[in-house]
Amino acid sequence: MMEGVIDRGIAEIIRDEMIMHDKIISILKDDPKTIPEIAEALGYPSHEVVYWVMAMWRYGKIEETTAKPNADGYFMYKVK
Amino acid sequence: MNYDVLIVGGGIAGMESALTLGDMGLKALLIEKEPSIGGKMVLLSKVFPTLDCASCISTPKMASTIHHPNVTIMTSSEIRKIAKNGDGAFKALINRKSTYVDNNACTGCGECEAACTVALPDRFNFGMVAHRAAYIPFPQAVPKKAVINRQGQSPCSNVCPAGVKAHGYVSLVRSGRYDEAFHLHMEDAPLPGSLSRACYAPCENACTRSDLEGSVDIRRIKRFMVDHYYSAHSEPEYGTPEKLSDKRIAIVGSGPAGLSAAYHLGRKGYHIKIFEREEQAGGMLRYAIPAYRLPKDIVDRDIKNITALGVEIETNTNITSVASLKEQGFDTVFLAVGTYETWKMNLPGEDLDGVMDCMGFLSKANTGKISDLSGKTVVVVGGGNSAIDPARLALRMGAEKVIILYRRTRKEMPAHEWEIQAAIDEGADLMILKTPRRFIGSNGRLVKVEVLRMELGEPDDSGRRRPVPVKGSEHSIDVDLAVLAIGLRPSTDSFTDQLKINRNETFRVNPETLETNIPSVFAGGDGVTGPAMIVDAIGQGKRAAFYINRYLQGESLDNIEFDSRLSIADKYDVLSNRGAISKRMQIVAVEPPPSQRVKTSEEVEKCMTEEEARYSANRCLDCGNCSECGECIKACPADAVHFDMQPEEIEIEADSVIVSTGFKLFDAHLKTNYGYGKYPNVVTAMQMDRLVSPTKPFNRTLRPSDGKAPDNIAFVLCTGSRDCTIDNPICSRVCCMYSIKQAELIMGALPLADITIYYIDIRAFGKGYEEFYKQAKEMGVYFVKGRVAKIELVEDGNLSVFYEDIDGGSGPQQMEHDLVVLSVGLLPNMDALHLFNNGDRLEADAYSYVKEINEDIDPTRTSIDGVFAAGTTSAARDIPDSILHAGAAAAQAAGYIHQLKASR
Repeated sequence: MMEGVIDRGIAEIIRDEMIMHDKIISILKDDPKTIPEIAEALGYPSHEVVYWVMAMWRYGKIEETTAKPNADGYFMYKVK
Repeated sequence: MNYDVLIVGGGIAGMESALTLGDMGLKALLIEKEPSIGGKMVLLSKVFPTLDCASCISTPKMASTIHHPNVTIMTSSEIRKIAKNGDGAFKALINRKSTYVDNNACTGCGECEAACTVALPDRFNFGMVAHRAAYIPFPQAVPKKAVINRQGQSPCSNVCPAGVKAHGYVSLVRSGRYDEAFHLHMEDAPLPGSLSRACYAPCENACTRSDLEGSVDIRRIKRFMVDHYYSAHSEPEYGTPEKLSDKRIAIVGSGPAGLSAAYHLGRKGYHIKIFEREEQAGGMLRYAIPAYRLPKDIVDRDIKNITALGVEIETNTNITSVASLKEQGFDTVFLAVGTYETWKMNLPGEDLDGVMDCMGFLSKANTGKISDLSGKTVVVVGGGNSAIDPARLALRMGAEKVIILYRRTRKEMPAHEWEIQAAIDEGADLMILKTPRRFIGSNGRLVKVEVLRMELGEPDDSGRRRPVPVKGSEHSIDVDLAVLAIGLRPSTDSFTDQLKINRNETFRVNPETLETNIPSVFAGGDGVTGPAMIVDAIGQGKRAAFYINRYLQGESLDNIEFDSRLSIADKYDVLSNRGAISKRMQIVAVEPPPSQRVKTSEEVEKCMTEEEARYSANRCLDCGNCSECGECIKACPADAVHFDMQPEEIEIEADSVIVSTGFKLFDAHLKTNYGYGKYPNVVTAMQMDRLVSPTKPFNRTLRPSDGKAPDNIAFVLCTGSRDCTIDNPICSRVCCMYSIKQAELIMGALPLADITIYYIDIRAFGKGYEEFYKQAKEMGVYFVKGRVAKIELVEDGNLSVFYEDIDGGSGPQQMEHDLVVLSVGLLPNMDALHLFNNGDRLEADAYSYVKEINEDIDPTRTSIDGVFAAGTTSAARDIPDSILHAGAAAAQAAGYIHQLKASR
């Protein structure tokens, strides 16, 4: 998969969310992480991880740790 | 139903027309195809130039519309056709789609959505985030009711004879909810362990992915699910039902059909006794299928699912009389006798010691009554699955040589190819185009089989080429045991004088109710269908249970549909219209090598690991969207979800029609040089509006490539408007202003962000628009006059915008941004042009908008007398103009209705 280019169908990426929940929860269990950090841990492109993390945020499984992003512009997410 | 006016489309224009007419005392029916009224406006962040909250303006109107005493709304509804009557009024046929949720009961709590196991792109957030197959459209939806997205029934579930929701348990396994998956299976079929080993899985043949790189491994996923559950639950978690009936049911036969019927009836509290002629219960599961395919401890555990309900099984009892059961006080009888006999070949020597039918051999082998064939030569006659099992079993019992004798070629063998290959791999010798002519014995014991060579002639009734003996080809083979597996015969002999029997010796029953010619006696399973799959028999038992229950309740069996299913989801639609599908290979089944597995009777196939099972489940394409996992039903505190709800066809009459079907947005994929759909950080303005709205799909305004707060954002105006290359030469009227609106909102949300707007010319024609434009410039928005030629990806997801600097005069330039917004144009919604028939044609203008015949002096009037266009149906308009236009349409409609009523 090429970082920065959408090379999979959006519907397929979104379908994958259900299998990614446990993996992302496991990654965030000990320390909050940014989306690029989660992506690196998962081995998936960041733009795909955005779909999964945002759906998990939407359905109350995770939350951001601070009201403002860090100096690089990223929010950290933790298990809710 | 009669109304004064029918309004098609529940956006801001439709609502405005409905409210205006309602306030005049006219009865309006508002039809909206989406589950909520509000159209696109309610999804916007703010409106320009006032920056008032779009929701704050929309939602009171939405609430007023739904509560107005003179306005009726039908959401999730579409017009099939509208025709004008001779009296000047209109007749419309409306399809009210089923949402599978009772709106009177639903409280909009969202519990169903939280429980749902299927993620789909959320179209109300323009695909930027997932929602669920069970969903509430958006937080301000009116009505705020859940909807279940069911696009037909997934093929795997649709073809299951037992009605097992394969898609449902696959989606639950994908989500890691294994126990729920098991319980879902148990709703339909009580023998999941046996099915997980020995089902021929018609679901997999139907799987849409089988048209790609191979079916989802549904059976092996089930195996994982069952093993996971059984390892934690050696006994069922339930006991006898609290409420017991005084009715008694006798079931003859404890095979899959009998056990299935007993389970479904047992759950209803009936007293059930199964009579089994063999020593142990299980029928074919125990006596026909070898342990290397189906371990008997799994059969035992499956049977506990039935006996835990209080079902009694009496073995070693051969029932031959229905009347005797009635005399014992049973209210009904279900005959599930199976096919335990084998058709005779009627050849000389067939009665010799050493010639066995396949069921006799299998039952003796499976119960240890024959265990050692060391040094023996075994011939199995037949080409079906019932021939493969004895052959493979004989090899495990030490037979020196096993020959499968089949009279046609391998291609015509009814057995599954993988089973044939497995037998060959294990050492069986497949002799095709050969058939026995006679069995030769010595001292009453088989010693040889005389065999004829065959050749294929013309096709027979089955379509297969008829085998024809080759003259003079007789030769003999030395054998110790011959197993005849040429076909199984129903075990109905005992009942021929009591019940009607078909020519093929199956019970004659009503195919719907499975009732025999004696009203209280039902029959099912292989005794009715002939030899079939286990899952067929389980389905028959379930069907019989449904009608037996009705019989015992004194309810009619006529015209009652059992197991009503949605139509099958369209595979073509799944493969062609849901985006790219990656290749995901099947997990190769782990089996010991043939030389090793043939030495033992242990189960050949290994269970998937948890990771393999979830990976395999995630290969599912969610064909029907909703998986029917039933979690929403369980989660709903109001009992509002009902999968049996049906769509309705409603016919209404109205004196006038207002068409307010709105506009469509330009598909930005068509401007390929801008990279939409390829680069994550190229978004449309509608997506940007969602990103800056209070109900945004992300936790903040973030860019989609990596969740970073953007700080250098570009807007590309006139994307898909004023552009002859995509056949839309006209201005969309709103793009300049909504882009400026978004720029100002971003500056509020991201104060440090740089905003650049690339434009051809700014059209600030409305009240306060010029001031709004100037305000943006004063806030620091950077306006660049120049059309963007292309957008390319640079580092870190950033994008390079190539443009011509017209005002600056520096020619072609490029600028880097970390997010690019394409300000897409508005297009006509041409669906409106197809609403009418019977010769009435809604004319279109040169740009395919609904044509207003004389918009200067007679606005909103269309080519059909009595039909009026409101809002963006007839032209691109901003919100204030749309509302004004909708008011005009309402006034015109009221005038027409007044004249029509006066003329009657």
